[in-house]
Amino acid sequence: MRILVVEDEPKVAKALQEGLEAENYEVTLAQTGEDGFFLASSQAFDLIVLDWMLPGRDGLEVLSTLRKRGMQTPVLVLTAKDAIEERVSGLDAGADDYLVKPFAFPELTARVRALLRRGKAEAAPSQRIDGLEMDLVARTVTRDGHRIDLTTREFELLEFLLRNKGRVVSREMLARDVWKESERATPIDNVIDVHVARLRRKIDDQFERKLVHTVRGVGFTVREAED
Amino acid sequence: MSGLFRKSIRTRLTLLYVSLLTAALLLYGAGTSAFFLRNLREQVDETLSQDVETVETLLSVGPDGRVRVQAQDTDEDEGGRLLEVWSQDGSLLYRSPELWGRILGAAPDGHEGIQGARLADGTRVRIVNRMHRIGTRPVVVRLAVSEERLWQEFWEMVSVLSIGLPVAVALVGLTGYAVARRALRPLDSMARRAEQITAERLSERLNIENPGDELGHLGRVINETLARLERSFEQLRRFTADASHELRTPLTAIRSVGEVALQRSGDVNYYRDIVGSMLEEVNRLTRLVDSLLTMSRADAGRIPLQRAEVPVLDLAKESAGLLEVLAEEKNQKLTVEGDPMVAVRGDRVILRQALVNLIDNAVKYSPSRGNIFVRVGSNDGDAVVEVQDSGPGIPPEHRSKVFERFYRLDKARSREDGGTGLGLSIAEWAVGAHGGRIELDCGTEPGCIFRIRLPKFTTEENTIPPEQSRKT
Repeated sequence: MRILVVEDEPKVAKALQEGLEAENYEVTLAQTGEDGFFLASSQAFDLIVLDWMLPGRDGLEVLSTLRKRGMQTPVLVLTAKDAIEERVSGLDAGADDYLVKPFAFPELTARVRALLRRGKAEAAPSQRIDGLEMDLVARTVTRDGHRIDLTTREFELLEFLLRNKGRVVSREMLARDVWKESERATPIDNVIDVHVARLRRKIDDQFERKLVHTVRGVGFTVREAED
Repeated sequence: MSGLFRKSIRTRLTLLYVSLLTAALLLYGAGTSAFFLRNLREQVDETLSQDVETVETLLSVGPDGRVRVQAQDTDEDEGGRLLEVWSQDGSLLYRSPELWGRILGAAPDGHEGIQGARLADGTRVRIVNRMHRIGTRPVVVRLAVSEERLWQEFWEMVSVLSIGLPVAVALVGLTGYAVARRALRPLDSMARRAEQITAERLSERLNIENPGDELGHLGRVINETLARLERSFEQLRRFTADASHELRTPLTAIRSVGEVALQRSGDVNYYRDIVGSMLEEVNRLTRLVDSLLTMSRADAGRIPLQRAEVPVLDLAKESAGLLEVLAEEKNQKLTVEGDPMVAVRGDRVILRQALVNLIDNAVKYSPSRGNIFVRVGSNDGDAVVEVQDSGPGIPPEHRSKVFERFYRLDKARSREDGGTGLGLSIAEWAVGAHGGRIELDCGTEPGCIFRIRLPKFTTEENTIPPEQSRKT
């Protein structure tokens, strides 16, 4: 999978490149709108990550020109603006998704995956990891054959963590995707922490091998315990 | 014209007075003159009618068949009598010698009456035609009298009027200008003083000479505006200072944690921990900046409200449900109760933010095993939501300040809890944007009640709350 990253701030560009390469994407960097435009129109990419504010030609200009020329590649716009009307103008210009700076990196990779997966089949009706089984149709959870009762919220939380197993999910992602909380300013980080703690109590406390892990400063992850 | 309107108010006022006065005087003068002229004419006509009767008695036909006028007393005959006598068939029978051969118009057409005319030499005359009989002979007697005297008197009067008029206008103009200048002088001094008031000297006020008059009113309004400006400047100044302070705290943490870590050496886990700790502070910064952005957009009135009917109890239950786990963790009892029929018209997301912030606050400040009540009801036509905590209460001196941005009762503790210090400010804005307000009710008992009042939405009347959507 080839990703073009158009970002002028060198530190952010480098972090994006390294982070995406760590996820096994092939990353090409462009530092200006002109370079980005040239690369996007001369080579084939599976996805473009485009900064809105660029020196010279700004991201939206580049994007709308590319779209007018019939480019179909999905585009994720990064922006420091988050007023609703600005978001709308980004989507009008042909962006498939946008991410407001500063963003959590796991959020970026989640969006990238979602855009690349777009149109393809949804995840399986069941998830499993290390003896934990989650039946998304019957809405039951068992670990090593023992049935675990979860509240609706805990179930959705676990489902989201399992869909992203092996990867870190941030509190912002949980707030938006599990709690459907659109306002970033609403104080529910504590709420999320409590729910994660309860979930952990139910699925990890009785077992030797822990599945739910806190990644300090970033969020949570579900992965098989390293022995 | 536009140049005229750009002149000073006193010039404009004076010009207005003067033109109004001139118009009034002209009208008055014209009316008076016309009336005077008509009176003079009536007098002339009356004399003429009497004269013609006198003349008729003096007419006779001589032995030669010619019409003669009997001589009369000369003292009665001033200025000469202009007399013609015509036969019915239109031939001139007599013409007085005073006419010097001038004629008094064409042959009579059989009409009686008085009319004005001008002789060939330009003399204005009044002419009377009358049917008469000399003996048995029908004739037309035509007598004229010069109007020269009349016009002379008329023009004398007009000239007196037209000398007086400009004098009067000039007097009124000068006085008017002086009066206007005097009346507007406080305005000049107010303007000069206002010019000296800058952002740095907002505490100064205008001097008001007479608070009762219009200028005094203007001065009061300006002073009130200045007071509001001063307050908002002060708020802004404090807000900027507080925001910088709030931003500095996590920045300091990031910096010192990073610097210390670089000086020491440790294993991967140590560095992971350091980076994690730094990221925690970054999250705090991010949340703070998000809240600040929300506030600044709210201040600028750039958050559009998407209004719909919102059942309040429903919203309260939803908000409490979101935070219920926090209360459970502290073994608190969070109760939501009230009238399910109460509804408001508003933006659900924004109203929810207000409620979530208030309930979050209540959970935070109530002790373990404490009780928190959320009550929905209506009062005086308002929809009311009360959030009652069982915390230590708020000392009276702090009560007016709790809605201020970054205001914290217990600074260290609140920041530890992850609060931004903006929760109540955001709640206050959210309610204010819907035309409501939040009251703080702290009795003698421990705990406080935050009471949201919003205009009630009633479907029958379809009343829409006043559009007071933006706090400025």
